[in-house]
Amino acid sequence: MAESTTVVVGGDRGIGHDLAGELAHRGRTVEVVSGAATDLCEPDAVAAELRRAGAGAPVTTVVVAHVEAAALVEVALAEMGEQAWEAATERTLRAGVVVLQQVHAVVPDGARVVLVLPTVAAAGVAGLVPLCTAVEGLRVMAKALARRWGARGITVNTVEVPLAAFVLGAAEAGTERAADVPAVPVLSEPALPARSAVDDVAGLVELLDSDAGGALTGALLVADRGTVLQP
Amino acid sequence: MTRPDLGGRVVFVTGAGAGVGKGVAEAFGAAGAVVGIGVREAASAEATADGVLAAGGRPVVLTCDVTDRDQCDTAIRTLVDDHGRLDALVHNAVSARSSEPTDFEHAELALWEEHASVTVRATYRLAALAFPHLEATGGSLLLMTSPAGIDGSGPMPFYSAVKAAQRGFVRALAREWGPRGVRVNAVAPLAMSPALEHVRDTAPDRYARVEALVPLGWVGDPADDIGPPTVFLCSDAARYVTGQTLVVSGGRFTGL
Repeated sequence: MAESTTVVVGGDRGIGHDLAGELAHRGRTVEVVSGAATDLCEPDAVAAELRRAGAGAPVTTVVVAHVEAAALVEVALAEMGEQAWEAATERTLRAGVVVLQQVHAVVPDGARVVLVLPTVAAAGVAGLVPLCTAVEGLRVMAKALARRWGARGITVNTVEVPLAAFVLGAAEAGTERAADVPAVPVLSEPALPARSAVDDVAGLVELLDSDAGGALTGALLVADRGTVLQP
Repeated sequence: MTRPDLGGRVVFVTGAGAGVGKGVAEAFGAAGAVVGIGVREAASAEATADGVLAAGGRPVVLTCDVTDRDQCDTAIRTLVDDHGRLDALVHNAVSARSSEPTDFEHAELALWEEHASVTVRATYRLAALAFPHLEATGGSLLLMTSPAGIDGSGPMPFYSAVKAAQRGFVRALAREWGPRGVRVNAVAPLAMSPALEHVRDTAPDRYARVEALVPLGWVGDPADDIGPPTVFLCSDAARYVTGQTLVVSGGRFTGL
């Protein structure tokens, strides 16, 4: 019988899907909340999914790896309509609010929350204004919640990965699915040799979920093997 | 103080009826610009219009609730039709509830929508509507964000998120519009607001603690401290600056 459950919100695709598999492989009891099957902007639907996920054992670790599919479409801002902006930006941010509200309601003191996001907002990407807008909003929302939830011993951190890794997970670049990834200009090459971003993120989730990671909250950990080196 | 000369230039400032928006509008007036004063109710623009005029600028009062697309469209068209151009748009308006502490865990989604509609959706909307005019003049878009959008404020998580979202918007759009000759920047001010004025007047000890955290020793004046850096970013003097957030806080925030 498991003592705790790790939930991966957005665990139905991309890095979320592969991360859920890797964390289970490492011995965790993992439940997935699908961003496609669940309307993450609906509080009741998210609450029901989190209750289901925690039915066997309390949810003590939550990974949120979700942006709306509409935000992964390249479009020039001046050419996009209000509905497209709503579907890409507003829904991604709203889902973040709803998910994090419901997570707070279900987790015990001392829980660990990790947002997984693409690195796009660090430098900005032309054609991806909606995604960059939503990602930066979510990243700083996590910082604000880290300050709020610290009194309960709950940590909230963000891990960022390259956009291709976020969309594809462990799939190889150059595969058919790689065509789904918007082009991101290469501003600098990674300092470290390539390795699976899923392994990198799984390792960081385990660190953040350990006593060793207990002092980290409100932090941004960029798991891109030394590509975006922020000032 | 040497100020940029914006004589003949036309700027539009949203939320310009009071506070930072009023101060910024007056600073543009001091630079000689035609200043579109965007307010929800025209009557609330009187003090700003007087200030812009006194500073040497030409005020134009525009009714513009930024959550209403038609009003945004009409305000920008009116300014361009009547004055021939648009050189800068400064989106400063925020939700009337922006300075309230937010109980994130129990807040209704309607409150989130109020923050997002004024700060996120209106940012997109104003940028899209202004783009052809800014491209025509080689102008710039400037967003008034906040240190809360960098640090993350525990008491104001919604405000922090929407202000951070603006910073992601600035970085991405600067890359998108740079090749079209339009610059995009942000200012994150620590400025005297009506809420802080209330604290200063009613709780001097608490206000003193706020000031003590500012290395330069005072909370910024909207016109004299926040306005000039904002005008600079919209002037030719900043023609090689885009995608940036300028923190104007007397040294209070140094982490960027």
